[in-house]
Amino acid sequence: MSEIRDSGPAIGRRNLLKASLAAGATLAAANAGLFASTGSAAADEEIPSLKGKRIAISATGTDHHFDLTAYNAQIDEVKKLGGEPIAVDAQRNDTKLVSQLQTLIAQRPDALVQLLGTLTVVDPWLKRAKDAKIPVFTIDVGTPNSLNNTTSDNWRIGSDLALQLVSDIGGAGNIVVFNGFYGVVPCAIRYDQLKAVIKYYPEVKIIEPELRDVIPNTVQDAFSQITAILNKYPEKGSIKAIWSAWDIPQLGATQALVAAGRTEISTYGVDGSPEVLQLVRDPNSPAAGNAAQQPEEIGRTAIRNVARYLAGQKLPRETYVPALIANKKNIDEVTKTLRLG
Amino acid sequence: MSADIDTLLPYETGGDIRRRIAGSLAGFALRGGSLLAFAALLVFFSVAAPFFFTLGNIGNVLGQSAILGVLAIGLTIVIIGGGANVVKGGIDLSLAANLGLSAAVYATIISAGYGDAVAVAGALATGALIGAINAAAVVVFGIVPLLATLAVMNVVAGLELVLTQNTVVSASSDLLSFLSAYGPFDIPVLAYVLTGFTAIAAAIVQFTPLGLRLYAVGAFPEAARAAGLPVKRIVAGSYIASGLCGGLAGILSVSYLSGSTTGAGEMLLPVVVTALLSVVFSRRLVPTIGGTLLSTLLVGFLTNGFQLLNISSTLVSGIQGVLILLVVAATSLQRGKGAV
Repeated sequence: MSEIRDSGPAIGRRNLLKASLAAGATLAAANAGLFASTGSAAADEEIPSLKGKRIAISATGTDHHFDLTAYNAQIDEVKKLGGEPIAVDAQRNDTKLVSQLQTLIAQRPDALVQLLGTLTVVDPWLKRAKDAKIPVFTIDVGTPNSLNNTTSDNWRIGSDLALQLVSDIGGAGNIVVFNGFYGVVPCAIRYDQLKAVIKYYPEVKIIEPELRDVIPNTVQDAFSQITAILNKYPEKGSIKAIWSAWDIPQLGATQALVAAGRTEISTYGVDGSPEVLQLVRDPNSPAAGNAAQQPEEIGRTAIRNVARYLAGQKLPRETYVPALIANKKNIDEVTKTLRLG
Repeated sequence: MSADIDTLLPYETGGDIRRRIAGSLAGFALRGGSLLAFAALLVFFSVAAPFFFTLGNIGNVLGQSAILGVLAIGLTIVIIGGGANVVKGGIDLSLAANLGLSAAVYATIISAGYGDAVAVAGALATGALIGAINAAAVVVFGIVPLLATLAVMNVVAGLELVLTQNTVVSASSDLLSFLSAYGPFDIPVLAYVLTGFTAIAAAIVQFTPLGLRLYAVGAFPEAARAAGLPVKRIVAGSYIASGLCGGLAGILSVSYLSGSTTGAGEMLLPVVVTALLSVVFSRRLVPTIGGTLLSTLLVGFLTNGFQLLNISSTLVSGIQGVLILLVVAATSLQRGKGAV
């Protein structure tokens, strides 16, 4: 895995590490560097046209801020570059997803971009597309069957979020973990990074059994699961934090903590959904950390990579789009830096 | 499909001959109309999206419809045997959950290291057992099928959660690779499975004495009992057959999705809609196996055609809903005319 990591562009990597580990003052300085580098890279380069190209965009679902934003950004970028998008959304139904991939492959587009999805479900079909000589690209799906995967650096997101959590709880205490989507690669990486970090903090314990977040009804389900576990651990301090690999379970968990008056517990999640960042901004909310990704930039970058590839340029195996850990102290700067405001 | 069943249908018991004629005219228009609409749809898609009417694409749609088709045929058998009254008649709401549990059983057995034979037996036994529980609830305890199968649905969905912990259980085996591959003429194997399964089910239901008894029991149970038919056994058998369909669909689903995944319950409404729609494709507006195949394909071609026409995916379910509403409204209108 480390080779893949290192083969990506090293945009502001050191800066990012520093930025997300420290809070406040260092962050602003580091971000200035980060944005200088991405900004100039984008300005310098001419994106090849997609004129006359049919680009298939296959989304697993668009019910979540991240998916919807990345999906729409892809469609817009294909149009902007003069191509014709064939965009389909499986509404988080795996049977639909496989059918749509099958039909897309039969339509023989000039390229296929898969947005998210359970690896074991989509991978056989990405392989079939590859075998049919269709260039396959992915967003947040790590597979040898795709030419390029555009994603946030989920190793970094995972370890940074875990370090933030461990540091917030003083390196000791019980944490509740949602681990329902280990089959989705980015979620698996973030979870593995959490485990890797807490391995060195033996006093941090994950409460067993781990919880399973679900789709649909994620918020309601997380709310009721957390309410149940709070009843099982009624003493203040018996649970220090709640972690989830994305931020819709975090939303439900945070609401449950507020409803039960257990706001001493902190919640952590990933994606930067606007409603969760709003909670992080609220000084009284238990939402303590959120790894804000840039779904719009991710979608746009994936399509630009398609255009570059079709124009004969060489692509790295993975393209990382910066993400930052937002916490109570740096929330204003993060939203400003990532232009999420 | 024999004439004596026709006279037993409730909507033809009305006395007024003129109304009856009007009713059957509407019926004729509906039947002809629905086939015509289906044909028009195919023509439209073929013209608008040239790729639509190719062997490869039609094969894909058949393959994509296999899971839904097998489930809908199972439900059709229950509806035929229990009568078409949506509230009191035959219905099996546990079918989608059955698919989920059978798939989970299959994938779990494979990932535990056993072979396809054990996994197939496990999945089919799971389906049959669910069918047997439904049958017992309906026939022995006399619970209304709608409620009985609703309760069983919840139990089955719960068992699936226990078995899989609500996660994806991936599975690969020789049988699964065979089922998810492409067969002769570059058509998915699942397309052949659907065609073969429909042919067998149609042969049994439409062309054997057993099938005729199934219709008799569903349309007029008292008369069937008076004629000496084992009504309870036939109804029970229809639920077990439906359960087996759930088990088979579970196996197909594992091959299609390379494992068992969550969310099987979402299949329920499409299954019910497909089975209910099947009546518009039959000569006397009764549920038939062939009609169910056609309505399955209608839904499949619609989804496929929309995708090929690059109609925004957000519109697809809306347009499908409107079409279904139109067909169901037309059917009800026709039924209403006949009955009053």
